[in-house]
Amino acid sequence: MSTKKNTELEEFEPNIIGFLCNWCSYAGADLAGTSRIQYPPNVKIIKVMCSGRVNPMYIINAFQQGADGVLVSGCHPGDCHYTSGNYLARRRIATMKKLLEFLGIEPDRVRMTWVSAAEGRKYADVVRELTDDIKKLGPMTKFRREKEW
Amino acid sequence: MVENKELIRVVEETVSRDDVKYVVGYKRGTYGFQIKPAFAYSAKDAKEFFYSPLCAKNLATYPLLEEKLPLRRGEEAEHKKIGIVVKGCDSRAIIQIIQENGLEREDVVLIGIPCKGVIDPKKIAKRFPKQSKFVDVEENNNDEYILEIGGTSHKIPKDELLSDVCKSCEYPNPPLYDILIGEAEEEFQPEHFNRVDELEEKTIEERWEYWEKHFQNCIRCYACREACPLCYCKTCMADLLEPQWVRRSVNLSENTAWNVMRAFHLAGRCISCGECERACPVNIPLMELNKFVEKEVKEMFDYTAGLDTEEKPFLGSFRPDDPEDFIS
Repeated sequence: MSTKKNTELEEFEPNIIGFLCNWCSYAGADLAGTSRIQYPPNVKIIKVMCSGRVNPMYIINAFQQGADGVLVSGCHPGDCHYTSGNYLARRRIATMKKLLEFLGIEPDRVRMTWVSAAEGRKYADVVRELTDDIKKLGPMTKFRREKEW
Repeated sequence: MVENKELIRVVEETVSRDDVKYVVGYKRGTYGFQIKPAFAYSAKDAKEFFYSPLCAKNLATYPLLEEKLPLRRGEEAEHKKIGIVVKGCDSRAIIQIIQENGLEREDVVLIGIPCKGVIDPKKIAKRFPKQSKFVDVEENNNDEYILEIGGTSHKIPKDELLSDVCKSCEYPNPPLYDILIGEAEEEFQPEHFNRVDELEEKTIEERWEYWEKHFQNCIRCYACREACPLCYCKTCMADLLEPQWVRRSVNLSENTAWNVMRAFHLAGRCISCGECERACPVNIPLMELNKFVEKEVKEMFDYTAGLDTEEKPFLGSFRPDDPEDFIS
């Protein structure tokens, strides 16, 4: 994954990885598209079957490979297709965010949200807000992998 | 105070039982302040066992290293117990492993030792370097350590040599044991692990500078993993090639990924014995990460590791009312 080199003239366009669950959030993002809601194109979506599928190491790995922010999105509590996957994800991401903060990495770079299949509008709002926040934080270069040969 | 005679008697008694294969404990090393693990297969091996404040090593790793050979057809596995000499933290490590089904309660016989804290080998070696013979350390009732080097006796305040994690230890007595040697220690007020607070007061940039400096030194020897009683996966994620979670190159990026992974995998499992920090050859303050996660897990989810064998693992369970103020 390569990010564009930012010159002073060019505005910083953050590179955000979104892990969306198949049953709610991905359908929500789809709805946002089919409803033709305008939102920033910075989030690159990776579809996972459940937010509980997201290993917190994915977040670290995304940062290593050049992401400036990570979005993890799942079904609302109680609505998980697999009954409890999002509850488990909530504990993991909460702990990981605290750990990142302690290490000196802005915890706002990692965001978790609940977006249902009917909330296309909310998904667009979440992306807009996250993109703005990360634009303010600037590029994440703290432990990015060095360029491969 | 643990009487060595009493310890040897208990070890002899345990190893003589029919259902016990061997007992792991401590014996005197060959030089400096080093101790060695001792294995007693019969009653006569028990004579070299001893206990002193130098016995910092967590022996809970040993039952997990037991080799399970493939069986011939019709052959049945030998079910014999392993005896382990445990301090407070070691006992909690065993509880945590039993909770995760890594061990059965019937697999181990725990010889509990009420612990008054152990000496940090790095601190004492710095103070008395280059000892060519083994030096034993005793503790008196006035919070002092007594040791004899070359005919002269030294008295050192306990505070100067005590391991940092022991100062904030909440469980000096083993919560789970079969035989307890001596009498349980009195409850004492543990100090706060203040190295974490100092770091938390810094700004986010200062914190990253601090960790960047330490992670850059990491040589990825994985000594922290090998010493940890709770890092017992047969194949560690760090060793996998497909998928490759952490690359093998030693640089800041991969070192950070490894150290975050290690700390995260011990969330809600670390029992703060301090083995990782003692094992680290480049002095990365790993216990600061572990203690921080432990504190956050306690505050957010009211969960403490290694106290109850029946409790569910932290990351494998949930409560519907877990905090979710970070979710928008």
